[in-house]
Amino acid sequence: MEIKRWNAVALWAWDMESDICAICRNNNMELCIECQADQDSKMDDSCTVTWGICNHAFHYHCIYRWLKNRNTCPLDNREWEYQKYGH
Amino acid sequence: MATAIRRLLRELQDSQRDLAKEIALLAPVDDEDILRWRAVLRGPRESPYEGGYFELRIDVPEEYPIRPPTLTFVTPVCHPNVHFETGEICLDILKTQWSPAWTLSSTCLAIQVLLANPEPSSPLNCDAANLLRCGDVLGYRSLVALYTRMYAHCPA
Repeated sequence: MEIKRWNAVALWAWDMESDICAICRNNNMELCIECQADQDSKMDDSCTVTWGICNHAFHYHCIYRWLKNRNTCPLDNREWEYQKYGH
Repeated sequence: MATAIRRLLRELQDSQRDLAKEIALLAPVDDEDILRWRAVLRGPRESPYEGGYFELRIDVPEEYPIRPPTLTFVTPVCHPNVHFETGEICLDILKTQWSPAWTLSSTCLAIQVLLANPEPSSPLNCDAANLLRCGDVLGYRSLVALYTRMYAHCPA
């Protein structure tokens, strides 16, 4: 027997606790509420999702604004530490 | 400022679609200014506030949701953590424990829960708190029920 053709199918899903950024309430895979309103802005490439070590995800712009206020995760109130950036 | 307005517009859409039954009303005071809202809470069931409607004024700062909104009772409320004359509310999430994950609607729910679960150790109304602190629950409940009947009518 000879394999003539092989079609691989992959299924995927975002591996995160919540799709919605709890700070601006936009989807984390979309731009944050500020960049969304100002789509020509140069900030576009930096508008990405970021995770804390608690695995809670927010837009980088949103969590950055909050952390200047208090260094805690908005969802569990524990001290915030960045885990990773980007999609 | 612009972020606050955009998030509030989203919250307005959400609350128009689906509002917790504990909240009788949650809306901006008028179309001119989305930073000023009005809420009406139903008194929690099986509490001496049951049957009452409690109106709140909500002032949202321009830095929302990084900074918390200010919620003040307009309806006079007899409660250890509410100032009877000014309507000021003592609740940690409105001050040091605020998080931008709260919304106006979830904040209103937290206040509705506070009505049924007073914290007499940090009082703004010493008379109400003292009744609880000396264990006179019956006296506390009758006093609250009296004020609820007197002031907490369904708003027009």
